[in-house]
Amino acid sequence: MSSLKLTKYNIGRTFIYSILIFFAFIYLAPLYVMFTTSLKDIEEIRSGNLMALPIDPTFYAWKKAWSSACTGSDCRGLAPYFWNSVRIVFPAVIISTIVGAFNGYSLAKWKFKGSEFLFGALLFGCFIPFQVILLPMAKLLGMLGLANTVTGLVLVHVIYGVAFTTLFFRNYYVGIPTELVRAAKLDGAGFFAIFRHIFIPLSTPIFVVTIIWQFTQIWNDFLFGVVYSGSGTQPITVALNNLVNTSVGGKEYNVDMAAAIIAALPTLAVYVIAGKYFVRGLTAGAVKG
Amino acid sequence: MLNFLEKNLPKIVLAPTTIVMVICMYGFIVWTGLLSLTKSRMMPQWDFVGLDQYRRLFANPRWDVAVDNLFIFLILFIVIALVLGLLLAIFLDQKIRVEGAIRTIYLYPMAISFIVTGTAWKWILNPGLGIEKLMNDWGFVGFEFRWLVEQDMAIYTIVIAAVWQSSGFVMALFLAGLRGVDENLTKAAKIDGASTIQLYWHVILPLMRPVFFSAIVILTHIAIKSFDLVQALTGGGPGYASDLPANFMYTFTFNRAQIGLGASSAMIMLFGVLAILIPYLYSELREKKS
Amino acid sequence: MGSISLNGINKSFGSTEVLKNINLDIKDGEFLILIGPSGCGKSTLMNLIAGLEDLNSGEIIIDGKNVSEESPKDRDIAMVFQSYALYPTMSVARNICFGLEMNKVPKDEQASILKRVSELLQIDHLLDRKPGQLSGGQRQRVAMGRALARSPKVFLFDEPLSNLDAKLRVEMRTEIKKLHKRIGTTIVYVTHDQIEAMTLADRIAVLKDGELQQIGTPYEIYNDPVSHFVADFMGSPGMNFIECIVKDQNLVIESGGQKYELIIPCTEALIKSNLDVVLLGIRPEMLTEIQPSAADNSFVQKIKFDVEVIEPMGADTVAIGQWNENEVMARLSPESGNSAGKGFELQVDTSKAILFDPNSGLRIR
Repeated sequence: MSSLKLTKYNIGRTFIYSILIFFAFIYLAPLYVMFTTSLKDIEEIRSGNLMALPIDPTFYAWKKAWSSACTGSDCRGLAPYFWNSVRIVFPAVIISTIVGAFNGYSLAKWKFKGSEFLFGALLFGCFIPFQVILLPMAKLLGMLGLANTVTGLVLVHVIYGVAFTTLFFRNYYVGIPTELVRAAKLDGAGFFAIFRHIFIPLSTPIFVVTIIWQFTQIWNDFLFGVVYSGSGTQPITVALNNLVNTSVGGKEYNVDMAAAIIAALPTLAVYVIAGKYFVRGLTAGAVKG
Repeated sequence: MLNFLEKNLPKIVLAPTTIVMVICMYGFIVWTGLLSLTKSRMMPQWDFVGLDQYRRLFANPRWDVAVDNLFIFLILFIVIALVLGLLLAIFLDQKIRVEGAIRTIYLYPMAISFIVTGTAWKWILNPGLGIEKLMNDWGFVGFEFRWLVEQDMAIYTIVIAAVWQSSGFVMALFLAGLRGVDENLTKAAKIDGASTIQLYWHVILPLMRPVFFSAIVILTHIAIKSFDLVQALTGGGPGYASDLPANFMYTFTFNRAQIGLGASSAMIMLFGVLAILIPYLYSELREKKS
Repeated sequence: MGSISLNGINKSFGSTEVLKNINLDIKDGEFLILIGPSGCGKSTLMNLIAGLEDLNSGEIIIDGKNVSEESPKDRDIAMVFQSYALYPTMSVARNICFGLEMNKVPKDEQASILKRVSELLQIDHLLDRKPGQLSGGQRQRVAMGRALARSPKVFLFDEPLSNLDAKLRVEMRTEIKKLHKRIGTTIVYVTHDQIEAMTLADRIAVLKDGELQQIGTPYEIYNDPVSHFVADFMGSPGMNFIECIVKDQNLVIESGGQKYELIIPCTEALIKSNLDVVLLGIRPEMLTEIQPSAADNSFVQKIKFDVEVIEPMGADTVAIGQWNENEVMARLSPESGNSAGKGFELQVDTSKAILFDPNSGLRIR
C-alpha cells in the first residue's frame, strides 16, 4: 500500500520537475542562442543552426559591435551610445530617487489636508501612456533649449520617474511607526532631522529597490530615447535598434547578437547581483496601490 | 516666520513635484487633448475643427489594423501569460529543491529591454536561418516557420516574445500570492479530504483573485504601451501589418507630420488605459475601506 | 516647575468630538493618572499636552506659560510611548542622548547624563545594544531613560506597561513609583488598567466619551465615586450593583429565598430623591463570612446567600450568587469560601454602600 503510494508520488514529482526544467530551458534558450551566435563567424551562422555550439569561437563580432559597427551612417560601434546611456542613467536615477524619498517621507508621515489627494494624482502618473505627453514635452524641451541633449533626457526621466519613486518610498514609510516621529518631535528634532537620523538609516532596502527599478527602467527605455535624442546623443537602446536595422552591407547576425548582449548586460548584471530587490520592486510597484 | 516655515515644510518639499506634475502630466494631457481637436500637421496650429481628427483616425485603415492587432495581442498575451505564470507558480510551490535557481531563470527576461528581446527573437524567428533551419537540421524536413514575414502572422511573433519576457513576472506575482495563503487552510482542506487538484481549484485559486486582477492590469498596461517590442521585432511590418496603436501614434506624429492625428490616437490610448484603470482603482479603494 | 493647567479644552477629529471642555489643574510634582475605557480620549488629551496634536479651543499652561501654540520641542516635556518608540537603528546610548543631541547639549555633559540615567535605571550594561536586541522590560527601561535624560518639567507616560507580561508589569509599576519618589517631577500617566491607577496615582482623573467624570485621590475615586460609571470602572472584582425597592428608608433585597431590609447610611439623600427604586452599590469586600469583631456595627447584617459559583483566587475566594436577580460577588476567606454553597451565612457591611439613580446613573447623596 505504502510503496504503491510512494511510486505514485514519485511519478508526480518527476512530472513536476520535468515541466519546470523544460521551461527553464525555454526561458534560457534565447540567451543561449544570442551568446553562441555572437561567437560564430558569418560563414558558420549560414551553415550551422541556432542550437549548435560555435566550432571556432571568435570575438570578432563583439569587437565590431562595440567599436566599429554602423548605426545609420555613424560607424563608431555602440561604445559612444553605451556611455550616453550611462550619462543619462546616473543623474536621472540619483535625482529621481532623492526627490522620491523626500516626497514619500512627506506624504507618509507629514499628512496635511489634501496630501492623500496629491498622492492619488501622482499615482495616476505611473499609469498614463506616455504617448499623451510626448509632443508637449518635446515642445517644452525645445523651449528650454534642451532638445536632443543628454540633459533633456535626464530631465524627462526624472519627471516621469518621480511618480514611481514617490510611490515606493511612500508605501515603505507608511509601514514605519508614527510614534517614532512623535518621540523624535518631543526630543526636539524637526522635519529634516527626523528624516536624516531616523528614516534614512532605516531606508537601505527601499533605496536599493528604487535605484534598481529606476536603473532598469531608464536603461531599458526606448520611447523617450528615440523621440528626444538627436544624432550623437542617443541612448544604447536606440543605437541598438539602428544598428540592427541598418541596411548597409550584408546582415551580420553575430554582430547584432553581440550588440544586443552589450545593451542588456548592465541590467542583467544588476538582476543577477540583486535579484531579490529587483523582484520586490516589480511587485511593490505593481501590487500595492 | 520660522514657525510658519517649519509647519509648512512638508508642503514646501512637495511643491516642486506638484507643480511639475500639474504641468507635465495633467497640463500636457490637456494640451494633447486640445491639439487633437485642431487641424495641426507639421506644427501645432490652434484652429479647432472639432472631432475631425477622430473621424479621420477611425476612417484610417492603418489605425483599424493597429486596434485589431492590439486586441489580438492583448487577449493572447494576457491569457497565455496568466495560464503559464500560474501553472509555473503552482509547480514551483511544491517544495522544489532548486526553486531559487529556477525562479531566477524564469524571471531574468524581465530585466532585459524590449529592444533587446525584439532583436533576439527577430534572429530566432528568422525565416531562413532561425527555428526553421534548426527544425530542418533536426530532421523535420519541410518544416516552415515564416511568421515574421507573413502579413497575417507577424502579430503572433510579438505575442511570443512578449510572453517570453513577461510570464516569469506573472509567475512571481502568483508565487508571492500562494506563499501568502494561510497554511492552516491547506491543512483544513486536506483533513476534509480534498485532493491536491481540488484544493487548488476550490480553495486556493479563489483566494488568488486579487493577484489575477493586478496581473491583468499590469499586463494590459504593458500591452497598451508596447512600442519598442514591435519596433525592434517587426518594425510594424510587413507593411503595417503588425502595428500597434503606440507605433501608429509615433509614425504619424514624428515621421508623417500629422500631429493632430497623432494626438487623437494618443488620446484614444489614454482612454483605453483609463477604462481599465478606473474600475481597478475603484475596487481597490472600496476594498481598503471595508 | 512643572504644574499644568488645562482650561476649556475641546478637540474633534472631523465631526467626532473627542474631548469636550476639559478643565484640569495638575500640581507640580504630582503623579496624575488619566484613566478610562478605550476611545475615551485619554491618549488624545496626552497628545495635546505634548503638542503632537493641535487644539480646537482652550489653552494649555505649563509652569505658568501658555504653550497652546508651541511646538512639542519647546514645551520641555518628555514622553514614554506604549510601543516605546525606540529609534531602531540607534544604540541604547544614542537613543537616550538623541534629545540632548538635538538640543545641542555639549558632548561631555551628554556623557555624564547618560551615566547618571543608565545607572539609575540599571541599564548601563546595555548601552551598546540596539533596541531589537533587548527584552520587553529592558526596552521599557530605555524608553524611560530617554525621557529622564532631558530632565523635563513634565513626564508623559502613554500606557507604558501594557506591552509587558503580568509579572514584569507589577515590577515596573513599583519601579516607576520609586522613580517618581526620587526625582519628584510631575507625571501624567495614561492607562486603562485600574490597578495601575490605584497603586501609582496621587490623583486619578476618570474620562468617558471625552468628558471628565471625576478627579480625586485613589481613595476618593474608589470609595466615593460620583457615578455608576466611575464606581463600575474602578475595582476588581468590580462593585456589585443591585436594583432595590425602597421601603421605609431601607432597601429590600431577596437572597437565599428570604427577604431582608438593608439599613443604609445615606438615608437623608434617599428621602430627598423621592425614588421608589434605587441602585445599591456595594463592593465585594463588604460581603464576607461572619466576623465576630464586627458584631457591634449597626450597618452589619447577616444574610443567607445561595452561592452558585466559587472562584478561588488564592488569597481570597470570590463567591457568586444573586440578590434581586442581580449577580452579586462576595469576597470570602479561602477557609470558609472554598466550601461555600446554598444557604451560606453572609455578613453584609453597608457602612460604605452607595446609592445611584437607576435612570441617570448619578450618585444619590
